[in-house]
Amino acid sequence: MSGLIPLTERELKKWYRNPVFFITGLLQPIFWILLFGSSFNLTSVFSGAGAAGTREELAVFGTTSYITFVLGGILTTSSLFTALFSGTSIIFDRRLGNMSRFLVSPIHRSSIVFSKILSTTVRILVQSIILVGAAALIPGGLVLSNGMSLLGVLIIISALIMIAFSFSAIFSIIAIRLKRQETIFGIINLINLPLLFASYALFPSKFFPAWLATVAEYNPVSWSAQAIRYVILNGTLTGSVLQQTMYYMLYLLMLTVFMLVVVYFVSEKEIRD
Amino acid sequence: MVHNGDKMSEDYIIVTEKLAKTYPGGIKAVKGIDLKIKKGQIYGFLGPNGAGKTTTIKMLSTSIKPTSGTSTIMGYDIIENSMEVRRTIGVVPQDLTTDEDLKGIENLEMVAKFYDMPLNDARKKARELLELVDLTEFGDKYVSTYSGGMRKRLELIVGLIHDPAVLFLDEPTLGLDVQTRTKMWDYIRKIKNEFGMTIVLTSHYLEEVDELADIISIIDHGKIIVTGTSEELKKSLQGDIVEATFASPDQAKVFGAYVNAIDPTFPKENVVRMKVKDSDREVPAIMQYMMKNSLSPTRFNVSKPSLDQVFLDYTGREIREEEAGDTRKMQMNMRRLRR
Repeated sequence: MSGLIPLTERELKKWYRNPVFFITGLLQPIFWILLFGSSFNLTSVFSGAGAAGTREELAVFGTTSYITFVLGGILTTSSLFTALFSGTSIIFDRRLGNMSRFLVSPIHRSSIVFSKILSTTVRILVQSIILVGAAALIPGGLVLSNGMSLLGVLIIISALIMIAFSFSAIFSIIAIRLKRQETIFGIINLINLPLLFASYALFPSKFFPAWLATVAEYNPVSWSAQAIRYVILNGTLTGSVLQQTMYYMLYLLMLTVFMLVVVYFVSEKEIRD
Repeated sequence: MVHNGDKMSEDYIIVTEKLAKTYPGGIKAVKGIDLKIKKGQIYGFLGPNGAGKTTTIKMLSTSIKPTSGTSTIMGYDIIENSMEVRRTIGVVPQDLTTDEDLKGIENLEMVAKFYDMPLNDARKKARELLELVDLTEFGDKYVSTYSGGMRKRLELIVGLIHDPAVLFLDEPTLGLDVQTRTKMWDYIRKIKNEFGMTIVLTSHYLEEVDELADIISIIDHGKIIVTGTSEELKKSLQGDIVEATFASPDQAKVFGAYVNAIDPTFPKENVVRMKVKDSDREVPAIMQYMMKNSLSPTRFNVSKPSLDQVFLDYTGREIREEEAGDTRKMQMNMRRLRR
């Protein structure tokens, strides 16, 4: 894979050297947490009813802080929205001519696509760190009432990596043969809201009608959001919560491995000028 | 007038047999090409846009797979050993392939890494190449600040960073002004002489091929029509043109009866135009003939055939400018070059 490292370097240089691209990428997670976490504060609905309200609140959300509840969802969604665009640069490379150089170089064709996926994943991890920082700093923000374990941190990081990887992979594959970036923007617009709202990213499962809950159970966004949420709410995972989290992680891992194989074979064969 | 036949096959760096490409939709871009390219030559493909030049180069440089036929470069099969082929060759595609958001030197270093070159070697080679094309002071500038000519020069050396044995140049001066074009020719000659590289060049500019190529293949509608040196091709037209003007029509008639004249015509009654096989040998004989018959021309002109005439003669038409091809990409490239 002699192409993967230089191509990923290229992508990252293009990212951190473009001030608008770089700063908006870093501001986006802060907006997410400020606007969603504050104005969308669902837990406040319950807070008027005194001790009974708090009990209900804890039963539904597992916490009295909506930001604490929603952080796993926002981390996942912000990763998702960044990942959706990772395919567009493949189209630009082809339109601008850079692709012609890659195709005559002795590199695996899949490394062109993997470099997009890898650089997107790096960007998402940087965004996520900022997001967690912002969530912790704002008033009424993140409360780790049950602490945090090393396993928990590992789960958060790997869930985000797997979501970033899988969705950048899906959208890179879509872009491999496309000639116009408008097409991929159309697909992104079509798919982003259903992915977000048919998941447990922003709302607890108790809010969902049965049919939507079934859909949400199969949505990878839910898997990552729930796994991260369990870690944040519980600190140390035990019993059935640990089991459920591990199931979500396993689904994510299966999706990631599947996408890894698909990207490899499709891009080796199909990528072209 | 086909270029000299089979010698030992190891003399040839590139050999192709019946190489053909049909694109989806049934467009037959290349219809079976046989090539033998010798080491150290500049081999030129001359043909209009859409003739199959770029498709041929893309097949040889392993960007696209041929539909049928075979080819080897330095003994490596372009399909079976495509990675080895890519390590052996350097390519300067028609597109602008360098990244505008990176510096000149960063583009060179990135491509060097594709070839697993150690960073120090890559830096040294990059500096050397920048100097070769007079871009030394611009290596640390972003490519987005380059002019069109500088951009093309950078493209040229990106294809050279790993010291390839063969260099493919696809329309190296497309869209450049005449002055910049001449400068590019100098660089290409310099590359041939300094690195002893075999160069395969495509162009639809007659002067470019005439100026640079040792061997020329005229290609049209996906087929090679004729191959030879520029001299051979011109000679194959069966002669140079001799035109003489005389004081009287009678004298012209006598001159028109010259024994070695081919197709003598009389554009005016006192003007004779004829073809002769080889003007260098024929002119002295013509002079003697004129003295013997007391002919005294008021004007006498000998012209060797140009590659234009060769093209016209073999394809039955003038070489077309700007047609077919990927116009969208070409326009985009032109726009970027114009800055």
